[in-house]
Amino acid sequence: MGELLRANTLTHLTYFRRSRLLLAFGLVFLLLASLGLLPAIFANSRVASFDSLKEIFATFNQFLIFFAAGLGLLVMSSHLSNRSLKMVFTKPCRPPLWLASAFLASALVSLLLTGFVLFFAVALSFLWHVPVRAGLVFISLDTFLACMAMSAYFIFLATFLHPAIAVAFALIFNASLFYYLRILVHNALHAAGKGVVLKSLEHVFQVLYLMVPMSRAFESKTGSIYSSFRVPAHDWIYLLYSLGYTLAISGLFYLLALFFLQRKRFT
Amino acid sequence: MHFRRGWVGPKIRALDGMNLEVRDGDFFALVGQNGAGKSTAMYCLLGLLRPTSGKIEVMGRTPELGAPLYSSVAFLPEEPHYHLYLTVEEATRYYSSLYGERVPVKAVDDILERLGLGAFKKLPLAKCSKGMKQKVGIAQCLIRETRLLFLDEPTRGLDPIIVREFREILRELHKRGATIVMNSHVLSEIEMLANRVAILEKGKVIAQDDLHNLMTLDQDLYAVALESNGSVPDYLTVTERQGSTVRGRIPKAQLFEFMDYARQTGLRVLECSLQRASLEDSFVRILKGDAPDEKKDI
Repeated sequence: MGELLRANTLTHLTYFRRSRLLLAFGLVFLLLASLGLLPAIFANSRVASFDSLKEIFATFNQFLIFFAAGLGLLVMSSHLSNRSLKMVFTKPCRPPLWLASAFLASALVSLLLTGFVLFFAVALSFLWHVPVRAGLVFISLDTFLACMAMSAYFIFLATFLHPAIAVAFALIFNASLFYYLRILVHNALHAAGKGVVLKSLEHVFQVLYLMVPMSRAFESKTGSIYSSFRVPAHDWIYLLYSLGYTLAISGLFYLLALFFLQRKRFT
Repeated sequence: MHFRRGWVGPKIRALDGMNLEVRDGDFFALVGQNGAGKSTAMYCLLGLLRPTSGKIEVMGRTPELGAPLYSSVAFLPEEPHYHLYLTVEEATRYYSSLYGERVPVKAVDDILERLGLGAFKKLPLAKCSKGMKQKVGIAQCLIRETRLLFLDEPTRGLDPIIVREFREILRELHKRGATIVMNSHVLSEIEMLANRVAILEKGKVIAQDDLHNLMTLDQDLYAVALESNGSVPDYLTVTERQGSTVRGRIPKAQLFEFMDYARQTGLRVLECSLQRASLEDSFVRILKGDAPDEKKDI
C-alpha cells in the first residue's frame, strides 16, 4: 500500500509539474502581482511598507487558495477526460487509494507554495525593516488549511461535472449565497410565525453554508490577526478549529468524490 | 451477462445474454464485427463496467475496480488511454509499480530495449506515435509474470517486426501457463495463436468452440487431388490443374460416389481430406447463419 501511495502521489506531482495550464495560471498571476508590487517599492515609511506587505501577503494567499482549487480540479478532470484511470484500476490499486494520493499530492503542492509565500513575506519584512510577526505563520497555516479544503471541494466537483461547469458552480453556489438564503428564509420564518417547509429550508441552507469551503472559516475571530500580524496566545486555538473544520470538510468531499468515482464507467 | 447503456432515448443492449467460459490455460479469442460487444465484454470481465444483470467471475472472484485479483492480471487497452504527461520510461515504471512493488530500473530498461523503445525512454507519451504508445502498453503487460492477460486489439498500429516478436512472446507466455483473452479483428493472427474462439454478434455469443473445430467441422467439402487424363466427375469443382494433377473440391455427400468412380476408372487419388476452412471462412459462414446448428457450441 505504501508503494502504491508513493507511486500515485509522485505521478500526480509530475502531472502538476508538467501541466501547462497550471503554469500559465501561476505566471499570469505573478505578472499581475508584480505590477501591484511596484508602488510598494516606492514606499518611504515603515507604516506604508507594513501596509504594502499586508496587501502583498493577502493577495498571494488568495492566489494560493485559487491555485489549490485549480490543482484539485485539474488532477481529477484530466485523468477522467483522458480515460487513463482504466490503467490504474485494472491493477491492484483501489479507487480510495488513488483518490487519497490525489488529495495528498494537492496538499503537498499547496504546502510547498505556502512555504514559498511565507518565505517571501519574511524576506520582504527584512528588506523593508518591518518586524517579523507570528501572524505571518498563523496566516500561512490558516491559508494552507483553506487550500486543502478548497482542493478537496474541487476534486469532488470534478468527479461529476465538466471543469468549466464546476468552476461556474463553485462561483455561483458559494458560502455567501447560502448564508444570504438562510437569512432570507429565517426572516420569512420570523414574519410567518411558523412553517415546516421554511424551517426545513433554513436547515438545508445552514448545512450547505457549512459544507461549502470558506477561505477563512473563523474570520470574525481572527480578523485582527490578519490586520496586525499579532497573535494573542489564546487565538492560536482558532488554528486548531480550522484544522478540525478542514479535516471534516476534506473527509466529507473525499467520501463524496469516492462515491461518484466508483460509479463511473471506465471505458 | 447483460449490459445496457443509455439513460435518455433508446437503450443499447451492448451485451445480451452473453455466456462465456474461459478455461485456465486457454488462449481465448473474441471475434466479431465492429460493435458486436467484444470490448464491452472485456471491460465487464475487467470490472471496468458492471453488467446490468448477470454474473462474472474471474479466477473465482467478482472483478471490481483495483481488486487484489489484479495482482496476477495484465490488461492492454485498445485505445492508448495512458498518462500522456509521463515519459515512456516513467509510464512503464508507474504502471508496473501499481502492482505494489518497486520495479528495478534494469527490468524497465530491458523490456523497453526488447520492444525497441530504448532510444525513446525520455519521450513524453503525448509525443509518441500510436504504435509507440501501444508498445508501452505491451511493456507494462510483459514486465512481470502474469497468470491472466486481457488484450484488446493488441497489434493495432504495430510494425510487422514487433507484431512478429509480440506473437512469439504471447506464445511463450501461453506455453508457460498464462491464460490469455484477446479481442482482435485480425483473424489470421487468431488462427496462429488462439486455441478457443468465441464469435460475437449484437452482444451475443453465436459460436464458441475450439479453434480446430471451428476451422474444420463447418465444412461440407472434401479437398481432393488426383491424376487424371482429362475427364473428371461433374461434381468435382476443379481449382487447380498442373500437368496431369488435378486439385479440386467435392461435396461431402458425393464422397462415396467419388470413391466408386475412382475404383472403376482406376484414377490415382493423391489426396482426399476434409477441407480445412480458414477462420475467416468460418466466421463469415457463422455470421451469415450458414453453419449447421450443431457447430454452434454456445
